[in-house]
Amino acid sequence: MALTVVPSFSVSGVWKRTQFPVSTESQKPRQKKAPEFPILEKQNWLIHLHYIRKDYEACKAVIKEQLQETQGLCEYAIYVQALIFRLEGNIQESLELFQTCAVLSPQSADNLKQVARSLFLLGKHKAAIEVYNEAAKLNQKDWEISHNLGVCYIYLKQFNKAQDQLHNALNLNRHDLTYIMLGKIHLLEGDLDKAIEVYKKAVEFSPENTELLTTLGLLYLQLGIYQKAFEHLGNALTYDPTNYKAILAAGSMMQTHGDFDVALTKYRVVACAVLESPPLWNNIGMCFFGKKKYVAAISCLKRANYLAPFDWKILYNLGLVHLTMQQYASAFHFLSAAINFQPKMGELYMLLAVALTNLEDTENAKRAYAEAVHLDKCNPLVNLNYAVLLYNPGEKKNALAQYQEMEKKVSLLKDNSSLEFDSEMVEMAQKLGAALQVGEALVWTKPVKDPKSKHQTTSTSKPASFQQPLGSNQALGQAMSSAAAYRTLPSGAGGTSQFTKPPSLPLEPEPAVESSPTETSE
Amino acid sequence: MAAASSSDSDACGAESNEANSKWLDAHYDPMANIHTFSACLALADLHGDGEYKLVVGDLGPGGQQPRLKVLKGPLVMTESPLPALPAAAATFLMEQHEPRTPALALASGPCVYVYKNLRPYFKFSLPQLPPNPLEQDLWNQAKEDRIDPLTLKEMLESIRETAEEPLSIQSLRFLQLELSEMEAFVNQHKSNSIKRQTVITTMTTLKKNLADEDAVSCLVLGTENKELLVLDPEAFTILAKMSLPSVPVFLEVSGQFDVEFRLAAACRNGNIYILRRDSKHPKYCIELSAQPVGLIRVHKVLVVGSTQDSLHGFTHKGKKLWTVQMPAAILTMNLLEQHSRGLQAVMAGLANGEVRIYRDKALLNVIHTPDAVTSLCFGRYGREDNTLIMTTRGGGLIIKILKRTAVFVEGGSEVGPPPAQAMKLNVPRKTRLYVDQTLREREAGTAMHRAFQTDLYLLRLRAARAYLQALESSLSPLSTTAREPLKLHAVNTSTTRPVLGLLVCFLYNEALYSLPRAFFKVPLLVPGLNYPLETFVESLSNKGISDIIKVLVLREGQSAPLLSAHVNMPGSEGLAAA
Repeated sequence: MALTVVPSFSVSGVWKRTQFPVSTESQKPRQKKAPEFPILEKQNWLIHLHYIRKDYEACKAVIKEQLQETQGLCEYAIYVQALIFRLEGNIQESLELFQTCAVLSPQSADNLKQVARSLFLLGKHKAAIEVYNEAAKLNQKDWEISHNLGVCYIYLKQFNKAQDQLHNALNLNRHDLTYIMLGKIHLLEGDLDKAIEVYKKAVEFSPENTELLTTLGLLYLQLGIYQKAFEHLGNALTYDPTNYKAILAAGSMMQTHGDFDVALTKYRVVACAVLESPPLWNNIGMCFFGKKKYVAAISCLKRANYLAPFDWKILYNLGLVHLTMQQYASAFHFLSAAINFQPKMGELYMLLAVALTNLEDTENAKRAYAEAVHLDKCNPLVNLNYAVLLYNPGEKKNALAQYQEMEKKVSLLKDNSSLEFDSEMVEMAQKLGAALQVGEALVWTKPVKDPKSKHQTTSTSKPASFQQPLGSNQALGQAMSSAAAYRTLPSGAGGTSQFTKPPSLPLEPEPAVESSPTETSE
Repeated sequence: MAAASSSDSDACGAESNEANSKWLDAHYDPMANIHTFSACLALADLHGDGEYKLVVGDLGPGGQQPRLKVLKGPLVMTESPLPALPAAAATFLMEQHEPRTPALALASGPCVYVYKNLRPYFKFSLPQLPPNPLEQDLWNQAKEDRIDPLTLKEMLESIRETAEEPLSIQSLRFLQLELSEMEAFVNQHKSNSIKRQTVITTMTTLKKNLADEDAVSCLVLGTENKELLVLDPEAFTILAKMSLPSVPVFLEVSGQFDVEFRLAAACRNGNIYILRRDSKHPKYCIELSAQPVGLIRVHKVLVVGSTQDSLHGFTHKGKKLWTVQMPAAILTMNLLEQHSRGLQAVMAGLANGEVRIYRDKALLNVIHTPDAVTSLCFGRYGREDNTLIMTTRGGGLIIKILKRTAVFVEGGSEVGPPPAQAMKLNVPRKTRLYVDQTLREREAGTAMHRAFQTDLYLLRLRAARAYLQALESSLSPLSTTAREPLKLHAVNTSTTRPVLGLLVCFLYNEALYSLPRAFFKVPLLVPGLNYPLETFVESLSNKGISDIIKVLVLREGQSAPLLSAHVNMPGSEGLAAA
């Protein structure tokens, strides 16, 4: 079995010197009975070169040859074979081979590290921790051991220990991955500020890591610090102009500011790279909505809905767009589907109520409003719409109650922020206030333009707003607006008209749509 | 392939199509049968005639026929077989004497073979590693038959458990043997002295004491036992020995041995260690967290390619400067040095058949090749100063010459929006049908909604009715709860007489079902009343099969059944749900 390597180097010509210890020996006829053993590590370098080039087939061939020649004693060949097994997903086999390596050289921390890694991949975190601790005894100054111990503790939900180990790893040697894991712990614990601290340090250490930049940007976005969020997302995009997460987040920020065209050009990049992303098509749809291209908006949103049928935010947007298109029956279906997935959101019930009002189902509309008012705590629109609905058939008293509730919310919002209220909403509120004969509401700072005008007149004047072009296609736009024009409006239609306006409302969920997958992925 | 590559290059801006390429295609032979690594390529004026040759340490197809090939122009000039696979090739000047023809060194196994004028000149073998004294002692005892094989085995085991140094192969082999073979093995091998030999993994050259282009150089060897050796160019003695924490894979050296030098070694543990002249141990360490696939020094920057498809730039103190992401895995890297323009850049051969040239992080040029390039080398070849030599995965050889007018300009490719931004979004068009339906919904939305709601209620009603009917007629006894017994109803159809002394017996496959009460008495049956008789049935099989349970009604004392019925059991819903 043992092949003797007889260096037959004297091929072409005469050697000028005579110092050939091995070759001279080989020229003598071999009298010894004992064959020489091949050098175990003879082809380790070749195995390694094939391995790092990811040429696994060639690598396996060399390993096989080497193992045959050395009768399975070549530790490195086994080691690389195990690495390849692991890459191919045969983790159990790789674990067994790494254990063989650990038997062949028990003093090597690396073998133990790989055993632990395979255990970790098999989900045996406790066993992995034990082996890592063994390895740590052999090599105390290895960041990788500390880092991986930290990751194991994360999976075991022992966040304190995980943090200790990760800090330990950072002290030994700083790596982006350790920062990411540390940030993740803080996020899992719900501590956004600490997570931001960690990611800030990480970005300082490695300013070109787009993943770090994007994550930091998204965290700022969640906290509402838009300036910094945009700065970091922008940086991420400079280094990697096709970064999916960063583009979506930056695009949704542009949308909130009404830069629909810029956002759309950015989305095109993503649309090429990630064809089937529900949040992307949702955002594109809402861009078109913002540009008043409702038909395009609907088709994009429907695609998003097709890709993610259980995402209530997409259903919400679909409902909203259909309300705008006066397709109340469709709107009703999308909204009720959204409510099935997200039963705790007041705005959804309000939109449902608007749809029901237009479908002349006042009873159910009232019930939906009641639920909306019950769930919602800060949106004055809910109360205003409810008040309008109640006012129309003459329930003045209840309408008044809702109106006052709305005023409370408005003053609360004014105290907290300098938010601009939608002018149409303000106008409607003033009209209703006048109709209810409440003293000119103190909360509105804007002067009242026409306090005497009746609420009913506003609702009849509303179709005018619908007669704006409805889509890029002129013919369709005209067809639809003319259809709207000679349609007899039910008396309760006033309620809907307030709803055509607040696209800012549905747009807000997008950052959340976007940031939620980034948190959960990894 | 061609179409894809041209569109790619358009996108990159750094084009390499025929018209405005910076390269002349000098030679392409897909069947050159050269399988090698960048480390085994070297360009040198081997005969001192000003005509530079290409030296290739060829592994042969499948690593089976190692050969030394010397190419002149497109042709193989000489070819000679090698005793073992070549790990690295280097050319260097051994002495000051004229004519100043460089020698060729080829590292293979534990030896460096040195050629002059393409004739074998010297063979350097790595010194034997000192054996473990305890192990040596044990084998000496065995030689004198003072120790029996079993004790020998135990002692060797204990050495292996504790010692830092690995055992010799002889001992390792011995430890693997069965009891019966030990005796023979000891007798056969006991007279041999135990040996530990290591092999060379990588090799490079280091100027001895002058920085000139044609100064005498030392060979620097990296070995499998984690050491770096510097050899004297004339006497081939070991001038310096340095130890590393891991096995070196790639080496990069700058400076002069006698003055000051820096040595960077990329190792198998994924780290790069940086050593200086007076340090026996690494001074700085770069941890990559991936395996390095190439290590090149460009001016003062160390450029490392990693298995994560990226190039990293580091300072000589190990500080990270930049990172560039590659579109595919890096297979090999080498230095491009254009003396006339003072340009130094890094070439990287990628798995997608591209060769990319970078100065720092700026992409200068992309070359598309018909096959993935596995080794690269740039320099003077023949009489042409700037020649690029590439060998491909399939054994092909590509030679390209850099046009004399060619100037590498950075930028252009990196700035500006990505090309995808100009592509139109694929938004589905609206159809006539859609418009019609939209209009109809606007006109008759309320009616549609009402009709839908009515239909929905009707549907629900129907479903409920159908379910009830199914239950009543026992068509498919779907159980609504997990614990629903098998129900039988006994009715005495006689008008006057009550029945007494009836028995019910179940016959079933005991492998599939178990019944707690397979046999019971029926109470007195008063005519006209409905008596429910219930029993639980447990399904034992996990294969989702169902069977028939036979129900027999017997009269006490009679063997023939009065009545028999078959109950078709449904498949287990627990399984269907799981």
